[in-house]
Amino acid sequence: MLDNTALPPRSAKSPTARGPHLGRLTLEVRQHMPIWQHAAILISLIGLGLAISAAILIFAGVEPSELFQEIILDNFLVRENFLAVLRQTAPLLFVGLAAALAFRVRFWNLGIEGQMIWGGIGATAVSVNHIGPESVRLPLMLVSAVIAGMAWASIALILKLRLRISEIISTLLLNYIAGDYMLHLLYGAWLDPVDSFPHSAQFASYERLPDLSWGISTALLLALVVVGITWWLLRVSRVGLYMKFVHANARMAHAVGIPVVGVTIGAVLLSGALAAAGGFVIATGLEGRLTQGFFRGYGFSGILIAFLAQNDPLVVAGVAFLVALLFDTGRSLQVFYQIPFAMVQLIQAVIVTTVAASEFFIRYRVHWVRRSA
Amino acid sequence: MLDFLANWVANSLGMATPYALAALGLIIGERAGVLSLTAEGLMLVGALAATAASLVVGDYPIPALLIAMLCASAVSLLFALLVIVLRVNQVIAGLAIVFFCQGLTDLIGTMANWTNRPVGGLAKLPIWPLSDIPIVGHVFFTQDIVIYLTLPIFVLVQFVLTRSHFGLRLRSVGENPEAVDAAGISVPLYRFIAVVSGSALIGLAGAYLSIGVVRMWVQDMTGGRGWIAIALVIFARWRPWWALGGALLFGGVEALVPRIAATGVRLPQYFMLMTPYVATLGVMIWVALDKRTGSDEPGALGLPHVREERR
Amino acid sequence: MVVPALALYRVRKAFGAFQALDGADFAVQRGEIHALLGENGAGKSSLMNVAAGLYTPDSGRIEVDGAEVELSGPRAARAHRIGMVHQHFKLVKRFTVAENILLTSSSRRAFKSDLRAVEKKIQHQAEILNFSVQPRNRIDALSVAEQQQAEILKVLIGGAEILILDEPTAVLTDQEARRFLTTVRALAANGAAVVFVTHKLGEVRDFADRVTVMRNGRSVATTDARATPTSELTRLVIGAEVTQPSRLAKVDVGLGRLYVADLRCAREDGHVSLDGASFVVNAGEVYGIAGVSGNGQTELAEALMGVRPALGGSIEVAGVGSLTATGPQRQRAAGMCAIPADRYAYGLAGELSVVENYTIGQVRSGRFGSWFRVDAGAMRAETLKAIQEFDVQGVRSLRQKSALLSGGNAQKLLLARELGQCPRVIVAHSPSRGLDVRACTAVHERLLTARDAGAAVLLISEDLDEILSLSDRIGVIARGRIVAEFKAPADRQLIGNAMVNNA
Repeated sequence: MLDNTALPPRSAKSPTARGPHLGRLTLEVRQHMPIWQHAAILISLIGLGLAISAAILIFAGVEPSELFQEIILDNFLVRENFLAVLRQTAPLLFVGLAAALAFRVRFWNLGIEGQMIWGGIGATAVSVNHIGPESVRLPLMLVSAVIAGMAWASIALILKLRLRISEIISTLLLNYIAGDYMLHLLYGAWLDPVDSFPHSAQFASYERLPDLSWGISTALLLALVVVGITWWLLRVSRVGLYMKFVHANARMAHAVGIPVVGVTIGAVLLSGALAAAGGFVIATGLEGRLTQGFFRGYGFSGILIAFLAQNDPLVVAGVAFLVALLFDTGRSLQVFYQIPFAMVQLIQAVIVTTVAASEFFIRYRVHWVRRSA
Repeated sequence: MLDFLANWVANSLGMATPYALAALGLIIGERAGVLSLTAEGLMLVGALAATAASLVVGDYPIPALLIAMLCASAVSLLFALLVIVLRVNQVIAGLAIVFFCQGLTDLIGTMANWTNRPVGGLAKLPIWPLSDIPIVGHVFFTQDIVIYLTLPIFVLVQFVLTRSHFGLRLRSVGENPEAVDAAGISVPLYRFIAVVSGSALIGLAGAYLSIGVVRMWVQDMTGGRGWIAIALVIFARWRPWWALGGALLFGGVEALVPRIAATGVRLPQYFMLMTPYVATLGVMIWVALDKRTGSDEPGALGLPHVREERR
Repeated sequence: MVVPALALYRVRKAFGAFQALDGADFAVQRGEIHALLGENGAGKSSLMNVAAGLYTPDSGRIEVDGAEVELSGPRAARAHRIGMVHQHFKLVKRFTVAENILLTSSSRRAFKSDLRAVEKKIQHQAEILNFSVQPRNRIDALSVAEQQQAEILKVLIGGAEILILDEPTAVLTDQEARRFLTTVRALAANGAAVVFVTHKLGEVRDFADRVTVMRNGRSVATTDARATPTSELTRLVIGAEVTQPSRLAKVDVGLGRLYVADLRCAREDGHVSLDGASFVVNAGEVYGIAGVSGNGQTELAEALMGVRPALGGSIEVAGVGSLTATGPQRQRAAGMCAIPADRYAYGLAGELSVVENYTIGQVRSGRFGSWFRVDAGAMRAETLKAIQEFDVQGVRSLRQKSALLSGGNAQKLLLARELGQCPRVIVAHSPSRGLDVRACTAVHERLLTARDAGAAVLLISEDLDEILSLSDRIGVIARGRIVAEFKAPADRQLIGNAMVNNA
């Protein structure tokens, strides 16, 4: 019910403008479109989205000249800023891939934030309880995070497969439940004994993701490896071909003998695992502890990244970097102009809207048909 | 004990009203075939608009509510444009609008300094002499204007849907747009009207939340109620009266939790906060298991309408 | 010269690159039944959709009773007293007959009184025409023939005097069709102009006074329906002499291959539409299942494909065993293949490429690479060969979406995939629905070739002509059961009786 399964393209007639004497607007499905035209439409609409965002920013008080110069350029030219952007890219890569994998099998995994939370909880549980020797503590935390995330994702999956309950609502509700449980832990058993704030005790040095030379974090390396693996999975392996069919027409895939249920389960669990790994990366890489609200904004960012990248892993990498840039810019705006971080979410929504609208121009050609005798 | 019950029911009505109105607004749109995931966002818009109106103009309930409904309808126009004209995937468009509204309301609320500022809110209007009846009078006849209006609104919507030409056409657009198209009825027009008018109700629900219940604007104050309302529509099998019943159920649950805590019973605080969401999941599971009663699910829900001209 | 009730002159209409109507003409008089004949894709439905206001022509003229009119939409057509009964009914299933008809009326007075008025009109018209349908019936509770009655009432109450009927007998048994004809004759006698769109030559003679033949978007000829010999009509429709594919004397029929015993299946809404069907298909034969749609054929096909669970009974393939509770994977492993009625539901993924659609059947068996790496090169090579062998045309690039193929070519691609693996059992459900004569012939030839190679072919079709021309044995399905069996050459009358007596 809540799924827009792909329909074979057919000509359409727009019932809008009815000009009785002059003509009418007609929609017609495009039969094929050269790549450059496709790209041109997409880019021009992204450009429109960016322009609207810039207009909003200017309206909010940002100087137009400074917008490009200090805020964007700076992030490339100043080393610390660039490294910060890279650092921010890592968790975004994870959530972007998580969303892309789930969308590939038409599973609307909107529970990425909940799965991130459980990733953080899983990792922190290992730390707080001192499980395992120091040398393997970090990998253990990752494993624990991933298992927790997969388990959380499986709830919505089972509800959909067994009871046909839409995953859109169930994953969203589970987000709130996960958030409340984490608060329960942070205000309760895991309250920091040192400063009595609602975050966990700081992770020990061996519980944190180290930085490599040049200041690039291990998290990013990990993320890039995962990008490679996902690319192989989707583009090269047999499973990727199966997923293509499940995405295009699940009924047909089943009728042809593809293990649709197996592929779906695998993709969704992997998606949960990746989201949890994103939570792990933030807790052990960026924050150094489990904090309130560390997951905010990542859920929609993941969806945005996957949507813009059309679920392609390599493009996800590129888009994740751009979103990281946006995040960093948002923080600068907060510092310099007191513009709340909510601006970032707004800009993301604007861009998703314009890109979604671009589908229309790619799919249809609009005609003005003259009436003739 | 009687006092406890009376207070609880009185409060339940207030907590139920946002759910009821939002669900009704969603039903209108969905009966026309448009799946709207925008409720969470539109409620936020309504909530902020009502509070802003109260802060800027003064504590006049009717203008505040109307402005909230107008703002929500305006945003819904964008959604309608996306899904009806541009035929964007209704799930993506709905999510985008929700996040758009979340970002926008956060932003405006902070920058205009409307956040966390208390307003007078809606006054309780006792209906004399009924309000003097012991217990019942306090519970049912000493409420605010929105609660009083909810029942008439439901009656009106149900009447229009089932006993008017307009309602018949609207429902047919949701059931089988091809049939309707061949009859010369404009599918996009009816969908537009359904979405915009339904969104006005959703905006009203959000407005009630801010100036009726909490009496201030807080960031993200809807806390998932929009999603719960969507689940409620499925639970209600797209029938307005069932939605009202479900809303009362949820309102009751929400009103109960702080009351039990207030009596001194020790409950884990954050688990209590989870109750509405767990309850919603429970309801959805119950609906999925219960195949008995029929459903009014519109046949063409969620599918964009494209007039087909076959090759 | 009597002025025609409806006349269309030099109508042109293109959909993208496809020219559906290329200067078509048509005229119908009051009081006559005029058949519009042509094969699938000739443009007849398109032309009538123009007349009904659903399509806007690129150029051309429409005249009603001699005066030029402009039809901006279905309402305008209705205002000019043109009404169309479509092949796929435009009814809202959850509403009653009265509510459906009320939708099309433009009166805007009090709802209740309007509804009562419509109900009265329905009652009145139904009596005149001897229809069984009642105004308060819900559409989804009506039989297909009754739904058609509702559609006819809809256009009549809407004031139509020019009636366009699009393939009306496609969903009727022979007997129902004869009753339908009586109705249509009565309407024509009352002064209506009736247009009858069909692709079946037999109907022209039975039903019509005059016939206009269309081909490739143009009107080729208009002649007297009864006086013109069938061979001449065929020549006009196809444009050439047609040779029926010669049916070789049949190879020896082998032993039983597919055993279906007491199979029961339910639809989505719970209705048990397949209720104890039993039959055997032998190797090297075509077993045709004849029946009007809605008697369980779809559920039977889906159960055999493995996509619909059986409530009871069994499916067995000789030498492999029971396949009843297994899924499509096991059916295919057992050598079963399927050609579904709706090719874009179960057969092809429209958004995916021609290569992918062709090769997917064999990817699992390891034909095209391993789990680690799919062998794209081998896939392309195989697809190229298959396309040539099965004469799939319109493939500009192997990577184009399969939805861009025309109906006939898409079906050929599907056949290439399914038949290319020399299957032991073939389940074909309405394999030539919607295809033009050439594609139809190609499909039939492929099925016969497969049969001759030893496969057991189960042909489920609502087109009795197709069943009669291909089948070695025929089973009649009614109410979910096989109620009668015949050996070829079978008597059409007996088959029709079997369908009707068990309805």
